[in-house]
Parts: sequence; structure tokens; C-alpha cells
Amino acid sequence: MAGRVIVITSGKGGVGKTTTSANIGTALAKNGHSVVLVDTDIGLRNLDLLLGLENRIVYTLVDVVEERCKLKQALVKDKKNPNLCLLAAAQTRDKSSVSAEQLKKITDKLKKDYDFILVDCPAGIEQGFQTAIAGASEAIVVTTPEMSAVRDADRIIGLLEAAEGIESYKLLINRVRPNMIKSNDMMSVEDVENILSCGKIGVIPEDTGIITSTNRGEPIVNDEKSLAGKAYINVARRINGEDVPFLDIDEPKDFVGKLKKFLSKLGKQGKEQ
Amino acid sequence: MEQCLDDNMYVVDLGEVNSAPEIIFELSSVLETAEAKNKRICLKLGDVSLNQAQILSIKSLINGIDSTLSSIDTKSAETEKVALSLGLIVSNVLPENSTDTVPAEPYKSAEELKEEQNVQDPYEIVEESDIAPDDLQNPEQEIVEISENQVQDNTEPQADENQENVNENENVKDELDVIFGSGAIQPNIFDAEFKNEEYSTNEELEDIVVPEEEYTKEDMEIEAFPTKYIKQTIRSGQVINYEGNIVIIGDCHPGCEITAFGDITVWGVLSGIAHAGSAGNQKARVRALKMNAIQLRIANFYSRRPDALNTVYIEKTDSYTPEEARIVNDEIVVFKIND
Repeated sequence: MAGRVIVITSGKGGVGKTTTSANIGTALAKNGHSVVLVDTDIGLRNLDLLLGLENRIVYTLVDVVEERCKLKQALVKDKKNPNLCLLAAAQTRDKSSVSAEQLKKITDKLKKDYDFILVDCPAGIEQGFQTAIAGASEAIVVTTPEMSAVRDADRIIGLLEAAEGIESYKLLINRVRPNMIKSNDMMSVEDVENILSCGKIGVIPEDTGIITSTNRGEPIVNDEKSLAGKAYINVARRINGEDVPFLDIDEPKDFVGKLKKFLSKLGKQGKEQ
Repeated sequence: MEQCLDDNMYVVDLGEVNSAPEIIFELSSVLETAEAKNKRICLKLGDVSLNQAQILSIKSLINGIDSTLSSIDTKSAETEKVALSLGLIVSNVLPENSTDTVPAEPYKSAEELKEEQNVQDPYEIVEESDIAPDDLQNPEQEIVEISENQVQDNTEPQADENQENVNENENVKDELDVIFGSGAIQPNIFDAEFKNEEYSTNEELEDIVVPEEEYTKEDMEIEAFPTKYIKQTIRSGQVINYEGNIVIIGDCHPGCEITAFGDITVWGVLSGIAHAGSAGNQKARVRALKMNAIQLRIANFYSRRPDALNTVYIEKTDSYTPEEARIVNDEIVVFKIND
């Protein structure tokens, strides 16, 4: 069994790489796959926080690289899902602590025992990025429908095409607001696809639930009602090779606050009747 | 001073003592006698391996009674190396007419000792250990050097390894840069038994039987440690390592790591990782005005913050109840100090 190594990258910061990693990882693990999440954002780690595993980390990626512990020792098991493991980044070091070759060694080792290795990439195109993509054969480029994020994604795709190991890459468009697209205030999903001329693997709607899930340390895919959660579950299924139709994120508006959601539901019901 | 050197020598033989805390304990009782005052102490040790902090605390004990530690006679290669790095004379010839009542062991030079014990030196960290034996013949000169280098030497001995360009003679500000910079040092915890259980908080204390505290050699060791005093907020990613006690006036944010051979006292909210007694002293404690540490480590024991507290934001209030973590029945317990 050889696992798949997928790097989740974006170029621009704050578009949702870490959220995507945590949610896709959790969704894959829920589907019964064994998953390792590798945080390569050394010095600015967040993945542990999103998974609520912050207090369990003793050994980190840097400890493994510097051979202070075994790889198995550094893998932190998820609280709920025994299929999911986290290899955390060190907070007290910087990106130069791990080289591309060293990370490749680690992902190659992990490949033997796990189905999926998701590598959370740091923002930027410097050494941290080069390290993160070293062991990967697939990439997910996260972007938002904003010009700055799209430009950065374009740059990243160029670098991924030039990189040796990356065989395929897909686009994940995050924080999409159907309302704004309707009123022509936001680029549509199709626009982004056209600009980047790259196939998409998922479209995630903007969801205020992401903020609460981050603060609570629980990925949003665990919340069955959340639209963003559903979208992430679909992405996970597509990664696994299933043909899943894209969610119609246009329809419900459960991301504009509880009251509005309630009122709009009432209003909609009224219209239908 | 020079001419009455022999009369001023006082030999303390601790060759039978087998552990560092015991050495400090025994030594302090010996030093209470009037004979030891204003003397140059020659310390005879057995096989015990002492680290830099322990030798420094011995030195400070001796300095406390207006004497100086002039030489160390040891069988341990590690102790010898550390002592050399501190500029002490190792295995020097004992004067025949010294006040020592115990017969002195035959003198062995540092070189001989090394060969005899087949010492392997995988970590040649400290440059001073390369001092040629000839340089050690002038004790006066060596002792002057100690007083100059002492502070910097015991602060970050390993940082120099990581940051080659650290100039020893730079000022205190640069010294702090070493502590907070990228020269992060992982605590030496990797042989420790992995215990990653939640620490008990005061609410659960009712079921725990707290054994009566005894004043032991470990307590004595902690008291003899030097103390570092830091007056600033410690932020994420910052690492503080000290071979002694640490006092921090300010908050310690999540993501920081504080490691001390002795106690850690935080006059503020402690939210990072704290490792007290990192050299193995189980009597070390962690104190804070508000204990919210992600992980607490004392000696070889680990505990993590209860998951229930993971998302609790600590609001700044006017009144805190100080808390103290210590090992009770092989478990780290956080006590609220109400009295």
C-alpha cells in the first residue's frame, strides 16, 4: 500500500489552507481512511489549534528531523477519530529547521503506513513552500474569489508545474459568497477557473461557523448542518475518486447570521406556499 | 595571599557521596564550621557527574562564607570538563601540609584521568576545556576569569553551539537575544517516560491524599540554584532556558516554552509550556498567578491542560488566586493557594 501525499498550498496567506487541511483530513478519516496531517508552517503553527490538539503536542516535526524522537512518537492522535494523526510543526523554530530532503524522507516513510498524507503549506513561495511540496505528488491550490488571491494562486500554479514531483493539481475556491456574485461584486467560480485555467476540486461557501469551529478546536465537517462542512466532505470524496456533483451553494443563506437565516427561511416558505 | 597559599587551603573530602544534592547537603554542613571561612576550598569528589549549574551552586555556597572554590578533584570526566570550562583547577596537587585530616588520594593529571576512564568526548562544546595543562598552572589568573565569565557561562552554555557568532563579551541585551532568538534549545526530556495526562486542578483535590512535605536535598539544591529574573511578557515562540530558577514578571503567552533546572515562578498568567526541574529535580515547582499552562512538566513528569479548559480565554481581572503545581503521588497537581 502506498499512500498519497497531497500538499495544500495557496501562496497568499489567510485564504484557508489550514482550515482546508484540517477539514479534508477529518473528512477523509471519517470515511475510514488513515490520514496524517503534516504541519510545515514552522514557527506559526495553527493546525493543532484547529484540531484542538494543542495541549497534546510533545514532539514536533523538527524533533523528528533532528532525531530526538521516533516518527511514531511525534504523531498525535485525534481526540475523536483514531484514523487521524497530526505531525505538528515546532513553534519555537523557523522554516530553515527542516529541509526539502528531510521532509521528503518523512512523507516517504508515512506513505507506507497511511492512505493519505496531507501537507499544510506555509504562505509564501520561499523555502517553506519548497520544503512543503518536496514530498508531494498532488497539490490542492486554495484561493478565494479575490484578485490578489487569484494572482498569488497563479504564481503558485506556475511553481507547481515547474516542480518535479507534482503530478497533478486542483483548485479549491474558498469563501465564496453567492450573494455577492449575484450582484456582480465578486468574481464567480467560473471566472476564477477561467483566469487560472485549472480544474476545480471544490467550492466552499463563506460560513461564519468556520470562526466558531476554529475557536472551539473542532473541524466544521463534524457539524452536519453546516454547508461549508458538507462542501468539505464532498471535496474529500472527490479526492478519493468519487464523482460528486458540486453543491448548489446558491440556495440557502445560512451564513448571514442566525436571525437573517431564520427570517429568510420563513420568507422562503411563505413564497413557496 | 600568594605566600600563605598553603595555609589558606581547606580540603573537603566528599569522595563517598554519590549524588549531586547530597554533595550540596554535605558541603553546606561542612562549610558551617569556622575553619572553612576565608579559605580556598579544595573539593574532593568521587564518581559523581556534576553539571555546570550544580558546580555553580556549589561555588555560590562557598562564596557565601567568604571562601573561594579553587580546585576540584574528581573521578568523573564530565565534572572535570565542566569544571575546566569554569576555569577551576581540576585534580591539582594537594599541599602536603594542608589542614586536611583525610589522606589525599594520589594525584592524577587531567590527561591521565581521561585516558584511564576511556572518556569519549562526543560534545566538545566548551572551548575553555581545550586549555592546555600549562595554562592551568597559574591559579590566580584562572580565578579572575571565572568571575568575569560566570554569568554568561551559566546562562546559555548550549546556545553558543547554535549561534557561533555570539561574542562572549557582549552586553546583557545581546545575552537576552540569545535566549529569545532562534537558538532555541529543547529541554532534555527525551529519555523521560511519556506521560501525557491531564493535570488535576484544585476542584478534584478532595480525593487526593497529599503526603506531608519533607525538606530534602532536592529542596536544598533548588535553593542553591542561581535565579534569573525577567521583567517582560513572554510571547509565542520565545524560549527561555536557564540552569537555575526563573522568575518572570509578566504573562507567558501560549506557544512559549520556559525550562528551568529549578522552580518557575510567573507573576502573571502562565499559558505556555513550563518545565521545572528539567534536570530531574522532582521537588521543583511551577507557580503562577493564573495557571493556564498548555503543558506542565516537572522533572520526568508530563501533564497537559484539561481539554475542557482548551477554549477558555483568560480575561484579565483585578484579583487572581495564585496557583502552584507540584508532584504529588507521581502526578502533577495544581494547588490553589488561598491562605
